[in-house]
Amino acid sequence: MHQLWLIPAFPLIGFLINGIAGRRMSKTAVNVAAIGSVLLSFLWVLKVLAGLGSLEDAYIERYFTWIQSGIVDVSFDFAVDRLSAVMLLVVTGIGLLIHIYATGYMSHEGGYYRFFAYMNLFMFFMLTLVLAANFLVLFVGWEGVGLCSYLLIGFYFHKKSAGDAGKKAFVVNRIGDFGFSLAMFLILVTFGSLDFARVFEKVGPMAVEHQAGVITLICLLLLVGATGKSAQLPLYVWLPDAMEGPTPVSALIHAATMVTAGVYMVARSAPLFNHAPIALEVVAIVGLLTAVMAATIGLTQYDIKKVFAYSTVSQLGYMFLGLGVGAYDAGIFHVMTHAFFKALLFLGAGSVIHALAGEQDLRMMGGLRKKIPVTFLTLFCAAIAIAGVPPFSGFMSKDAILLAAHHHHPWMYWVGVVTAGMTAFYVFRAIFMCFFGTYRGTAHPHESPLSMTGPLAVLALLSLGGGYLDVPHYLAPMFGGEHAPHETSLVVISVLAGAAGILLALLFYVIKPGLADALSRLAGKLYTLIYNKYFVDELYDAVIVHPTRDGSRALLWKGFDLGIIDGVVNGAGSLARTIGGGLRHMQSGYIRRYAAWVVVGAIVLLAAAAGMGGAR
Amino acid sequence: MLDTMFFYMFALLAVAGAILTITMRSAVHCAISLIASLAGVAGLYLLQKAEFLFAVQLVLYIGGIMVLFLFVIMLVNLDSAAKERQFHRRWAGGAVAAVLAGASALWLLSKGAPSFGSPVAQAAPSPDGNVEQLADLLFRQYLVPFELASLLLLVAIVGSVLMAKKRTS
Amino acid sequence: MPTSFIPTAADLLRLSPDIVLTAGGALMMVIEPLTGAARKARMAAIAVLLIAAAMALSVMAYSDPGTSFSGMLVVDGFSTFFRILVYGCGLLTVLMSVDYFKRERGSESGEYYALIVFSLVGQSLMASANELVLLFIGLEISSIAGYIMAGYLRDDKRNNESALKYFLLGSFATAFMLYGVAWIYGLTGSTNLDTVRRAILGGAMEQSGQMLMIATALMFVGFAFKISAAPFHVWAPDVYQGAPAPVAAFLSAGAKAAAFAMLVRVAASAFFPLSAKWEMLLWATALATMIVGNFAALRQSNIKRMLAYSSVAHAGYILVAVTAHSEVGIAAVMFYLASYVLMTIGVFAVVTLVASKGERFVEIDDFSGLVQRQPMLAIALTIFLFSLIGIPLTGGFFAKFYVFKAALDSNLTWLTILGLLNSAAAAFYYLRVLVVMYMKPAAEGAGPVDPAGIGIKAAIVASAVGTLYLGVYPSAVLDFAGKAAQLVK
Repeated sequence: MHQLWLIPAFPLIGFLINGIAGRRMSKTAVNVAAIGSVLLSFLWVLKVLAGLGSLEDAYIERYFTWIQSGIVDVSFDFAVDRLSAVMLLVVTGIGLLIHIYATGYMSHEGGYYRFFAYMNLFMFFMLTLVLAANFLVLFVGWEGVGLCSYLLIGFYFHKKSAGDAGKKAFVVNRIGDFGFSLAMFLILVTFGSLDFARVFEKVGPMAVEHQAGVITLICLLLLVGATGKSAQLPLYVWLPDAMEGPTPVSALIHAATMVTAGVYMVARSAPLFNHAPIALEVVAIVGLLTAVMAATIGLTQYDIKKVFAYSTVSQLGYMFLGLGVGAYDAGIFHVMTHAFFKALLFLGAGSVIHALAGEQDLRMMGGLRKKIPVTFLTLFCAAIAIAGVPPFSGFMSKDAILLAAHHHHPWMYWVGVVTAGMTAFYVFRAIFMCFFGTYRGTAHPHESPLSMTGPLAVLALLSLGGGYLDVPHYLAPMFGGEHAPHETSLVVISVLAGAAGILLALLFYVIKPGLADALSRLAGKLYTLIYNKYFVDELYDAVIVHPTRDGSRALLWKGFDLGIIDGVVNGAGSLARTIGGGLRHMQSGYIRRYAAWVVVGAIVLLAAAAGMGGAR
Repeated sequence: MLDTMFFYMFALLAVAGAILTITMRSAVHCAISLIASLAGVAGLYLLQKAEFLFAVQLVLYIGGIMVLFLFVIMLVNLDSAAKERQFHRRWAGGAVAAVLAGASALWLLSKGAPSFGSPVAQAAPSPDGNVEQLADLLFRQYLVPFELASLLLLVAIVGSVLMAKKRTS
Repeated sequence: MPTSFIPTAADLLRLSPDIVLTAGGALMMVIEPLTGAARKARMAAIAVLLIAAAMALSVMAYSDPGTSFSGMLVVDGFSTFFRILVYGCGLLTVLMSVDYFKRERGSESGEYYALIVFSLVGQSLMASANELVLLFIGLEISSIAGYIMAGYLRDDKRNNESALKYFLLGSFATAFMLYGVAWIYGLTGSTNLDTVRRAILGGAMEQSGQMLMIATALMFVGFAFKISAAPFHVWAPDVYQGAPAPVAAFLSAGAKAAAFAMLVRVAASAFFPLSAKWEMLLWATALATMIVGNFAALRQSNIKRMLAYSSVAHAGYILVAVTAHSEVGIAAVMFYLASYVLMTIGVFAVVTLVASKGERFVEIDDFSGLVQRQPMLAIALTIFLFSLIGIPLTGGFFAKFYVFKAALDSNLTWLTILGLLNSAAAAFYYLRVLVVMYMKPAAEGAGPVDPAGIGIKAAIVASAVGTLYLGVYPSAVLDFAGKAAQLVK
């Protein structure tokens, strides 16, 4: 036994300590509990993985039978295989760095202990999700991380926008969860089990569904769940708003870990998806569309965190593209490298915001290169990583995906390349606007403390060198499948696209700063459309939110209560009114309405029953 | 033949009493009409050779409950209620409702007539006599419900006492 | 036909919980006037002892299952399960009532606890009756006690209104049921569930299918009223809002569980042959109940009213499992009710505490900043709300899981999908409470929450532990439910 349960147990203990006693503890004690628990968890992951060696097969630990009855048989199991090993390292490693960073970032904020309690709780659920050996345990983690995300987005509860963003995240995620739970039921009905091992064993000999069938349906429903959690079209709308939360939360939950849960889940269900090529195609197309759309929005945003948020959506789209074209290993590889550089981007942004006392608007920054050099250097590392400059980490993983896409359908490659160019442009646009030129704000920038710059430096190293961790090679035996041949010309093209993006950004924002505005005026309506995020939020409001709210008001209140009942009572009920005359004096004129309800219900029921009885 | 005649007589008494109960202005008249209606039902019981039920109907409903009603009516001043208009005259609506209800009742009766010829309805009167049979049923087979019905009454009494107790404020 | 007037020992043992409760309740009525005003809480202690004894006796009776008093009532896994459940519910209600009445000074009296005990007799009969007449008597005992308890604080206008509405509408609906029972007797010549089933299978169905359906529909009106299924739920919001919070808990948990037990027993035994014909009707009722409950709850600002609508919605989920008319479905109903009772009692206990004297604080906004004012209370409420939403690791999750699994097994795909959508929407209004509780600062003038007494603390802790237990380790209860479900019929 390697005691896998200890991995999530440490953060849970941290949560309990901070949650129950945190109010009365000093900040140092809170830090020790919060960081210590994640550190222990990280060390335990290392120990377990060292002990398990090469992990050719999944290592499963069974704890107890959760439910055993004639109906279902689910046990509470944890498992580690190569896929979850990668995720474990990312989650605990990045999580540790972000926790350390947060001690510096949150030091002036109220509710310090509460923040760390939620963060630790999040770690607990995320690790449960990753370690799960069946769909139900995974669902436990899945729901749990969603909840923590909701709590942390709304952390600044005094801001109305934060509360609204939290609600939005929750509602959108419920739609995704709805898909996931339906998929789970279908899996249970189809395969009679929720265990990964058993389900995949049973799906193995089944025929690949070239026509849509039950496996395709399962996979599409899983995809609905994944689009909710991983912010893909059409459910991505919550993620940009989620930036209302504290920046370390954005980095940990909404960039590095939780949002990749959907990617992880699809990769985990790879045997199912391999039997449903139609669903895989949908995954690829959803990913690609999301990548393009989010990247174009990212081009126009001025809030530094919003730029990176759309970038996250876009990069998640890349990961789905990788999964959809069958390169699961490349997708997971990108999960890892993305965790490095995107966490760094957010933490760096946080450091900038911290330095400027809360300013997030890029137009109010500029020339910060000299004032906060460490932040600048580390952010620059992240930028060249995400822009796909060889040989840094982003280049490695993005190229693996693009090559696989080319192998699948060349047009997907070309769209991906254009998106890569845009990615490079908007990231460097942010960097240039922030650090070059002259300072346009009024605050007095100061460099962040070591607790913040330290993690930045570590992440910078990982962003640069993380590509050399050969994840695809490590994961390949798990997923099998053919591998795209290495084509140098394709690689060169994508690198050139990235370089073009960087140079354009340099031209627009450093060399000739007026050019960008001129261009946006030229593009006119298109620019407005993109700047307003294609008006998707407004569309959702108009199409879904308002009708539902107004509908429930109009139908249930005006329609049912007033319309139907009053109609019944006034029309045929003068008799009832007389009988109720005595009751009317007792200020409860409603009783006869209620009685009318009962009568109407009874009549309908009796008529229907008589009808049913007639049908033999 | 004589049975049939008596049946219609009692039925008429029951229905007419019921109609008068809800149409009379004075509460006392209503109560007396109700007594007539209940007496009609008692007669029907007698025709069905349910002597015990007949006796219970007379003693409990007419003798006990109705007299209590009359007491209450006389003690409580109901003059104001008596002056109020009793009906909103919506004859059209009433007629439609009555016709519909009557039609559906007829339809059900014609549809269901055969099923009401079930064993119980046709059971021959026992030589033991009605009261003995009833006692046998109540104290053997239905012992538990019979005893528990007293609990039901107890709860109801507790309730009415609680409601009637003097208010504290 | 029984031959002897003298009940056998087995007969008595199987009825013993009800005998003990009846005798004990009567005794409480006798000693009530003899206890001083300051010592009325002792009556609660007696009630607790009585209920505990009844629980023990029902477990003992289960060691020798079977029918008793010439088929009047039946002791099997199903009835034992529900007996324990309603007794547990009664116990928790007594515990939380002590505090409540201590706060509402001057209105405490021993009759209240006696009424709970009597009501439990009724509910236990509803769970174990094998006979429509006994079933009806049980239902009436439980209901009449409920009417009185809903209006127990006679000086409170809300209580009066609640009790009157409940009484009038309840009597109205029960009349339908009694009429249905009479029809059944006319059609089959019996009110014994087994005999009725045999009669239906033996020709009554062919002869008079329509009449049977109408008779069952009449009975269903009464059942639907008690479980608050749409459109017979109209009383629930007003009654729960107006009644004292512990009584609202008792009515929405115990009374509803017993009513469901009754519905399931009747549907699975006597009228099982009709279940195919009833499927569409139940289907529609379940859907309507879920939709009405959830959407109406979305718009409530009073927490008791919101919980009332939420209990309507939960009745809808349970009806989904009833619609499945399978053994799996029955087991799902049992499990759902177990977790529903725990979380409902728990949430009402918290509401009782927060509401303080005179139930002044029953708006959702009154829960703002609860996490700062009373962290432990907030955590408990969080557990209950999570369970009501159906979040994993709480009983509510597995309850929903089994219900929908049962529905899927019976090929009720659309109902499952619509039910899941409903439960997704439902999360929203529970979350509003969570948001207020965690993310809003305490309102100005929100008084400190009164210190909780030992009784209500015990009730909250027991409900919370039970909810978590069912969420982490549901096997034990589910196993029992699965086995018990096979015995019905």
